[in-house]
Amino acid sequence: MSELGDLLKAPGASLEAEDDFEAVNELYRARGWGDGLPIVPPSAERVERMLAYCDRPWGEPVGRIPPRWGEATPLRLAANAVMAGCRPEYFPVVLHALEAMCEERFNFYGIQATTHPCAALVLVNGPIARELGINCGHNAFGPGWQANATIGRAVRLAMINIGGALPGSGDMATFGSPAKYTYCAAENEEASPWEPLHVELGFPREASTVTVFAAEAPHNVNDHESLSAEGVLTSIAGTIAIPGANNIYFDGEPLVVFGPEHAATVAREGYSKADVKKFFYERARLPLGKLSRENVERRIRVYPLYKGEFVHAGPEALVPIIKSPDGVYIAVVGGAGKHSAYVPTFGSSRPVTRALRRRDGEFARSIEDFRRR
Amino acid sequence: MAELRRRGLVTAVVCSGPFLKLGRNQARTFGVPDLPLIEIAHPLGGIALDEVRERARQALPAWLELLEKHAK
Repeated sequence: MSELGDLLKAPGASLEAEDDFEAVNELYRARGWGDGLPIVPPSAERVERMLAYCDRPWGEPVGRIPPRWGEATPLRLAANAVMAGCRPEYFPVVLHALEAMCEERFNFYGIQATTHPCAALVLVNGPIARELGINCGHNAFGPGWQANATIGRAVRLAMINIGGALPGSGDMATFGSPAKYTYCAAENEEASPWEPLHVELGFPREASTVTVFAAEAPHNVNDHESLSAEGVLTSIAGTIAIPGANNIYFDGEPLVVFGPEHAATVAREGYSKADVKKFFYERARLPLGKLSRENVERRIRVYPLYKGEFVHAGPEALVPIIKSPDGVYIAVVGGAGKHSAYVPTFGSSRPVTRALRRRDGEFARSIEDFRRR
Repeated sequence: MAELRRRGLVTAVVCSGPFLKLGRNQARTFGVPDLPLIEIAHPLGGIALDEVRERARQALPAWLELLEKHAK
């Protein structure tokens, strides 16, 4: 308890509260700490148990979370992980996800303070995802799985409690999204006909990674009829080509989540991930006429991205949603069924992938690598 | 903006009503709690150009006042 004891002596690091679930929850509610759901009281003992899976100094800065720019440390993140209901072994995923979100290209401030309903999607790859039992199958984005529910919630609680993303004063989302309570899943690597996301991005297969997206909730693509790769991809491309998402205006690298059955149909004809992305680049296009005249005049025609191409274009001209042949992420998630999903992004943000690394910089091979000796 | 204010330049943030709280919090966070916020009518996004001009007219007196204060 000595390291924690020292850290808790800092001003404001802890508070005395009645040892009672309802009383602590009432206190937190009154102070605006939390997401509106009951929390697990982050007692010193529970926080210390959470930190059993942290091989870094507990007071070491991980990053600053806007808009308050509060400093995230393992100690503070652990308190939020306790509140969320995480098991201690989930903690390295929470910590690495937050670290990824603090990278400049994620545009953390924009994501926190925007009126847009983007949430923080945490997608986990590699053997540690399996070791932790992060759901990658049926209902992976839905309820019923402790790891998915609590890792995503811990990330959100850190955004609120450390970052100050309070509705109307730090989080300006017009109406937000249910995905802002929790949004975490693993890739179904075993059911994927393609290389997993982390391998595609250059990490060894035996490494584990978190990839964070500033993402809208998934928009389903139901296609029970297509028997060919082109059929499935056409349905998905048609779903991507919508006028309301930010990706029409920004090069924000959205995500396409293939259900395993759709992925199998596409891969059976020899389509690689690169081929699939190229298909979406070429085919996920929206006729200018689907946008309001004002949007065309005031946005499409003046945006640097489009200025040259669309300044004199007619309503039939096609606007690419995916801005380059590799400007989209692909992952396979889910169980049985003829469904895939399109996940639009905030746009002014790039997905960030970080490997789960031990203190010495080596890739973690097991979650036990983080256990304090 | 906070950095400009610290350097002694005349600074203000123009924002519409719903964003005042965020603006005040940010000013505090960046160590310039007295950073003037000039309120204009909401919204600023999705309005016609003449309405944008109207917002600018709304902000002008407060802005001139700041400049005059600075000149003294």
